[in-house]
Amino acid sequence: MLPALPALRDLLPRGGLARGSVLAVPEFGLLCLALAAGASAAGAWCGIAGVPEAGLAAAVGTGLDAKRTLLVPDPGSAWPQVVASLLDGCELVLLRPPATVPVQVRRRLEAVLRRAGGVLLVAGDWPGAQVRLRVITQRWTGLGDGHGRVRACCAEVTADGRGEAALTRTRWLWLPAEDGGVTLADPVDIPMPGTPVTRTSPRLRAASAG
Amino acid sequence: MRPNADSAPQRIMVVRCPSLCDPDTSPAGPQAARLFDRVIGAVTGFCPNVEAAEPGVCAFGVRGPARYFGGEAMLATKIIAAVAELGVESRIGIADGMFAALLAARRAEPAAPVAPDGPAIPARPAAPGAGSEPVLVIPPGGTAGFLAAQPVSVLADQDLAGLLKRLGLLTLGDLAALPASDVASRFGDAGEAVHRLARGLDLRPLAARPPAHDLSVAREFDPPEPLAEPVVFAAKTLAEQLHAGLAARGLACVRVQVRATWADGEESSRLWRHDGLLTAAGVADRVRWQLDGWRAAPPDGQYAQGGIGMLRLVPDQVVRATGHQLALWGEAVVSDRVARAAMRVQAMLGHEAVLRPVTGGGRNVSEQVGHVPFGEKREPRLAVGPPWPGRIAGTAPGVVYPVAREAEVTDDAGRLVTVTGRCVLSAAPARLVIEREPPRRITAWAGPWPLSERWWDAVAARRRARFQLATDDGRAWLAVVRDSRWLIEAGYW
Repeated sequence: MLPALPALRDLLPRGGLARGSVLAVPEFGLLCLALAAGASAAGAWCGIAGVPEAGLAAAVGTGLDAKRTLLVPDPGSAWPQVVASLLDGCELVLLRPPATVPVQVRRRLEAVLRRAGGVLLVAGDWPGAQVRLRVITQRWTGLGDGHGRVRACCAEVTADGRGEAALTRTRWLWLPAEDGGVTLADPVDIPMPGTPVTRTSPRLRAASAG
Repeated sequence: MRPNADSAPQRIMVVRCPSLCDPDTSPAGPQAARLFDRVIGAVTGFCPNVEAAEPGVCAFGVRGPARYFGGEAMLATKIIAAVAELGVESRIGIADGMFAALLAARRAEPAAPVAPDGPAIPARPAAPGAGSEPVLVIPPGGTAGFLAAQPVSVLADQDLAGLLKRLGLLTLGDLAALPASDVASRFGDAGEAVHRLARGLDLRPLAARPPAHDLSVAREFDPPEPLAEPVVFAAKTLAEQLHAGLAARGLACVRVQVRATWADGEESSRLWRHDGLLTAAGVADRVRWQLDGWRAAPPDGQYAQGGIGMLRLVPDQVVRATGHQLALWGEAVVSDRVARAAMRVQAMLGHEAVLRPVTGGGRNVSEQVGHVPFGEKREPRLAVGPPWPGRIAGTAPGVVYPVAREAEVTDDAGRLVTVTGRCVLSAAPARLVIEREPPRRITAWAGPWPLSERWWDAVAARRRARFQLATDDGRAWLAVVRDSRWLIEAGYW
């Protein structure tokens, strides 16, 4: 079992990322990075394959350790071999596979995964995934009509899956909170659609660099 | 045999081949490095301990060989004749100490035909022997006088040279006349070093480098070997031989070149570098991964080029073997397991394909995280330390596009939103259309934040206005307007 961030524990069966299992998130985003962050902060190596646009600064904000991260932005057509190699070295591999993955390739990678005892985090579709997580709604605070800046995001995240994860769980999270971390959102904080965004800061001054 | 810090430096002869000094612009092209190797070989015929100082320049201690060959000038003439047989023109400088000898070798060249600032002077016909003497010998003890007349611009550190010039120190003689302690306290280590040079003292004793071909090891396969396993097995033995050879000289290897010659005569080579030192097993592993990279996909498994005729390991960068010590702090220790995985992927996709992120400074989200190929030193491209006014403060985006995506932002009436040079917006942004995606309605926005970077440099100068946009699907975007075009640099979700 690899540890997860405290705010994500309620969403995951037995509160962590089970070794040898596949977790799927339909689209790459901060949720994927936050799922990897807990394990990385606890000392695991994390490989990120096929996601050239991963925002590492935000990932570091959620707790990912950049020193223990390997990036393979463009694994090309040999991606199954690349992922298999990465699984030999890293406890957790975040992968965005191509749109269609042949069943045999999927089976083979799952076998490698069970043997290596790692966790495969898929940003995309993976029919055999033990746990599926998804952001249902999200809303950024801090932006106004021509003023403010992006501050924090309140997101409703749901998880379901197979076996012990079959029960659907839903949590409101700050993903990220204002300090860049991930925390559980208090129901009173949850912004309702249509309510005006409170102005929390004076308008930013234009700054010219150089 | 390190000389006492202030003792007179030894007599040095520098052989400089002007046509080979810059491998990129040399008329010999990519052959320049190989040609220079042969030049070193020719010079080694006169003195075994030749050090390659930089491309096209080699040096050695001249006292012994000069005695044997009948004087410095005689030796120099012989070397020039030997190098000329390879079709390479050379210049020689002899002086006390490396720095003066290098300068002497440079001075021995014919004067540049065009003065730096003045009108062009017609180039003189370059008749051999008529323009200038190819050998410049600074007599023993004359080095200080020779150096004193040199302008400070001969120093490698051009920033320091410019500063010295502005302070009125025009020649090395002016600099050498200052007390060493004053120079050290004003200019620090760099100043102390050039002050030593200006006084005719050496920065470091010449480390004689044994010729490189002595250290490489090779194994021939006859008939050519079509399978990987026997080659890898041979590579293990070769790697051990290589290390034994290096260790006997007190050296270790941080970069090794693996060269395989295929049955059809084609040669494939790859450089393997690691920040730790390469062990025999480490070298053998790299050979295996590299050979795997060249092999066809599993069902076939054969090498396209027929088989391997020769395998050669060349130590490319050697250092003194002082034992390997891990950094005390600051760097996560890469375990063997992770290193093997990363290097296996590198063998498949190339050295640059596996990266480690480094967070650094910078004003734009895309430059705040640098990527360093696995095995190289992790250093941020832009320091975190200095303030970066104009960087977007606060929350970092979870999605940073390596190449900004084209977009269109329109107002309520469907007209493109524009930003003037004074950062005045034509209308409030209302709709965002990103290439290959359905249109989105903008629910909140902020900006424009102007950013004018490197305005002093016509090529690198960038002027843009940045916005944050929140859209009806709950996401937020970092958009920039550059040359009246909207680009999406990053996404928040």
